[in-house]
Amino acid sequence: MIQLILSLLVGLVLVVSLYFFARRAKPSAEGSAQKFREARQTLDSLQYGLLPNDLVERIFAREDLEYVLSAAPPDVQSLFLADRKKVALGWVRRVRAAVFELMRFHRGHARLHARLSFSTELRLALNFAGLLTACRLLQVTFYLRGPYAAPGMVRTAAAAASRVCSISENSLAFLNVKGVDPLDSGAARHGA
Amino acid sequence: MEVLSQVVAYVGLLIEAVILVRAMQCKNFAKYSIFYTYLLTVLVTSVFLQIAYHTVSKPVYGRLYWPLDLVTLALGCGVIVEIPGHVFARHVSLKRFTRWVAITTFGAIFLAFAVHVVFLPHWKPVANPAELERDLRIAQAIPLLSIVFLTGYYGIEIGKNMKGLILGFGVYAGASIISLTLGLFIDIERSTVWRIVVPLSYTAALLIWTVALWSYEPAPASPPEPTDVDYRRLAGRTRQALGSIQEHLDRTPDR
Repeated sequence: MIQLILSLLVGLVLVVSLYFFARRAKPSAEGSAQKFREARQTLDSLQYGLLPNDLVERIFAREDLEYVLSAAPPDVQSLFLADRKKVALGWVRRVRAAVFELMRFHRGHARLHARLSFSTELRLALNFAGLLTACRLLQVTFYLRGPYAAPGMVRTAAAAASRVCSISENSLAFLNVKGVDPLDSGAARHGA
Repeated sequence: MEVLSQVVAYVGLLIEAVILVRAMQCKNFAKYSIFYTYLLTVLVTSVFLQIAYHTVSKPVYGRLYWPLDLVTLALGCGVIVEIPGHVFARHVSLKRFTRWVAITTFGAIFLAFAVHVVFLPHWKPVANPAELERDLRIAQAIPLLSIVFLTGYYGIEIGKNMKGLILGFGVYAGASIISLTLGLFIDIERSTVWRIVVPLSYTAALLIWTVALWSYEPAPASPPEPTDVDYRRLAGRTRQALGSIQEHLDRTPDR
């Protein structure tokens, strides 16, 4: 029975993959000014729009919750929680999308190289998958238990995503301007 | 249904002949030499089997069918080894990896076959050739899947010829795997409708190949390759970024 299931699975996966393969659009030219501009915009949106400490603290401020719980009637409390949940979910969705964009940027540039390191690429792929899953878990946590369920996780996710931004920013810089060593800037040491 | 099977078989022969004539007309034979050799072998063996079926006897046809089918299957494996050379022409590592996957899976199947033949004298390959064919089709599917996955993951552009070759092979391999598996386990081979599925999928593959290989289209040009140092830096920085983010997320449950 296991053999039957595995064989059918291989056949079905092949057919489904071919369907998407046939429908795949022509990839855009990597290294083009348009691509660099898009990567730059993603970074800017993460760094200045989504990850600054004051914004993250504002969205997940516990004082707001405590104030509403102590001073407002129950219907206002539930309205407040529903609104904050929407904001938190929107925030994590956008962070995840931006991380995904950065991953696409890495893959897009990696493909220009004839000699990729298989082990490095495999590790990176697994790490990206892990990170995207973590963001998804955060989304599920917010959805089920509200915006105040995982404050530590929010802070660390924001800090880490911010770090990704710094390093990706340097990647963008060295891909544009040869000979610049971004590690000298110490950007990798920056936090959120 | 018997008539329909015959019609499908003759249409298949006709399309194979069209593809081969077109390849010679456009001098494409050398560009995809293993594929065209495979197709030529399929055409010759099919014609030979048709003659055996109609002029000699059905038992002779039955005896010849599986050995000849295994020869074309082995050549089909050769085509799958040829594909990465064209698809990943500018990506040495990916080409090496997919070829390694293909050779390993084919090698494993053929080795198992050889071990059975050598060490099990009572084991007769013709007794259950459908099982061997299914295993070989699965072995073809695995490298095809790795090619499809890697081209999608890195967004590598594929030319019309190669896209058609992969699609055609994939459609035929996928339909064969499903059909042979169900045939082996659920005994659907007696269903007349189901018996036409594999020949029809092969005809579909031939039509895809006809359209895709009608004219030669070189692999899409790619931008100049950056240096190895650039790649190491890019990979290193991305890994560093992911390492820090992972570290943070791992610590979170303790808070």
